[in-house]
Amino acid sequence: MNLPPRLHFPSTFAAVLLLLTGCYSREDVKTEGGVSEQRVENDLTTMPRDNAKVAPDQGAPNVAVEETAASTAPLTQVNVFLEVSGSMEGFMPKPGADASNTRFQQQVAQFLSELNNSPAVGRKTYYRIKERPYRDSYQQLSGTVRGGIKEPASSTDIPTVLDTLASNYYAPNTVSVLISDFIYSPRNTGAIPYIKTDITDAISRAQRSDLAMSVYGFTSDFQGAFYPAIKTGAKKVANCCDTDIPYYFWVIGPQDAVRRFDAALLARQSAQQIHFGIKYPQPSASLLNKYQNKGSWYYGEKTASKRAAGATYYTVAVQEASPQNPVEFVLGLNLSTMPALYRDLAYLKQNLQLIGQDTDARIVNVAAATDQTRASSGPENQYTHFVKVRLTKMARASRSLQVVLKDARPAWVSQWTTQNDSNIDQVGPKTFAFASLIDGVATAIGNGQKSPAVFQIPLTLEPAK
Amino acid sequence: MKSFFRFLYELIGSPQPPSETPVYREVIFPNVGLLTLAISLALVLVFYYLINRAMGVATFNKGRHWAIFLIANAIIAFIIALVQCNSQQVAEHSYVYWLATLNAVYGLLWFFLFSLILRRGSTNASTTPF
Repeated sequence: MNLPPRLHFPSTFAAVLLLLTGCYSREDVKTEGGVSEQRVENDLTTMPRDNAKVAPDQGAPNVAVEETAASTAPLTQVNVFLEVSGSMEGFMPKPGADASNTRFQQQVAQFLSELNNSPAVGRKTYYRIKERPYRDSYQQLSGTVRGGIKEPASSTDIPTVLDTLASNYYAPNTVSVLISDFIYSPRNTGAIPYIKTDITDAISRAQRSDLAMSVYGFTSDFQGAFYPAIKTGAKKVANCCDTDIPYYFWVIGPQDAVRRFDAALLARQSAQQIHFGIKYPQPSASLLNKYQNKGSWYYGEKTASKRAAGATYYTVAVQEASPQNPVEFVLGLNLSTMPALYRDLAYLKQNLQLIGQDTDARIVNVAAATDQTRASSGPENQYTHFVKVRLTKMARASRSLQVVLKDARPAWVSQWTTQNDSNIDQVGPKTFAFASLIDGVATAIGNGQKSPAVFQIPLTLEPAK
Repeated sequence: MKSFFRFLYELIGSPQPPSETPVYREVIFPNVGLLTLAISLALVLVFYYLINRAMGVATFNKGRHWAIFLIANAIIAFIIALVQCNSQQVAEHSYVYWLATLNAVYGLLWFFLFSLILRRGSTNASTTPF
């Protein structure tokens, strides 16, 4: 047994190499996650097409993936109301010899067609609004939009219409869409200061606790007589207008139905928008520890070391924070299921707030995803927006923070409002007392209280242990 | 056990970059620490009990032979740390090499301590290294 010892080294090293592979490996977790992620992605890209072929009535495939099955089922019914008073005639002029039409005709006809063919809605009913709603077929209503109004109503009273929609056409899983110029001219000028109250009363009368509303604002060229609400000048301006005139879609119904209708049929409209009473599911979000991070901090979650694919983190463990070495962390948000208003960078920059006590943490930047983040292999590729937070001091105990999106009124509402539309060509594309109408809606649906947040994401700051 | 290894390996400061701290503390420190201890013990057993007792090799019991094992153990400890960091895919940072160097030092220390304890059981090398 006098073997030279170097013969035994290979076997020793083999044993060492076996040991080197380690105990706490997360290799398996990672590949598994990677594979399933890819599969989901493939499903997503093929699903809409398959759905359209195989089962056209199986709901809108574009609505949020995370939602429950119940909320992705099609809406039961949509009622479309087109106002056909004289003031709407200019939007729907009879077709001339030059085959030109207005943008209103183009857009509304296309919307009606999309709606009529949409698998996201079960039953579609169409109405013309005169003194009361008259039932139409899709062909009749689309024909009115294209060919002009045959018998214009004298005028329609907006509070009455809203009351009718909120009282008689409100049903679970059902929305009403009102297409109108929303020029509200009370019969006597003394009622003008009470427009807001009239609207609030009209909507509140039915006492629907779940009522929500989305308002979309469009502009269109206008060829015909314009009936201003303020009749100090002429009662009507013939052969109007050199300026564009706004028109609106008001979507009214239970909040859940309005949210789904918005997502399914109005998400791609390039319109101004404002929403009341809709509760959005909390968007997916996570801290990102390798995206524009600065300073000494790490994920405070117990599971952080596993780094599972798709995991989300909300705790910042701060090792050191000082004015010389500030901590900067980025919160990724996936707002792809939110309406365009809440994805708008300018709106987010103005209305995203960080609420916390005993901390100097504040939002220093809000950015949208770029091609670079979308193509990245890191978790930032799942998020559409990035909120960067900086802090320079850390308390000794943990502190909770909240990233909150305020439900503020977008600027366009006041920009589209005029108090005197008697000379509309000079006023421009504005609507008489529009802000007052919106005030009335906000009061009725928000119960006069301060509007709640669109969403809030809780974060935790803790000192590193 | 985790806190013991964390104490040992954070003598040179907390892990860098900071965002990788949970992975170092929860995975890499315990893995590297346990593997280094186990391999040091294994090499001590090989030197004193396999070569210099069971196999009865008479010409491999000098201080320089012991030193060969000591250095080999340190090199293995260095490699263990690199391999572990690599397999956990932590962000690249010079800290990885500081950690590997520190682990090599711990390799030397463990091997020395195990030698002191276990050398008496050897027939041919009970007085190595001294």
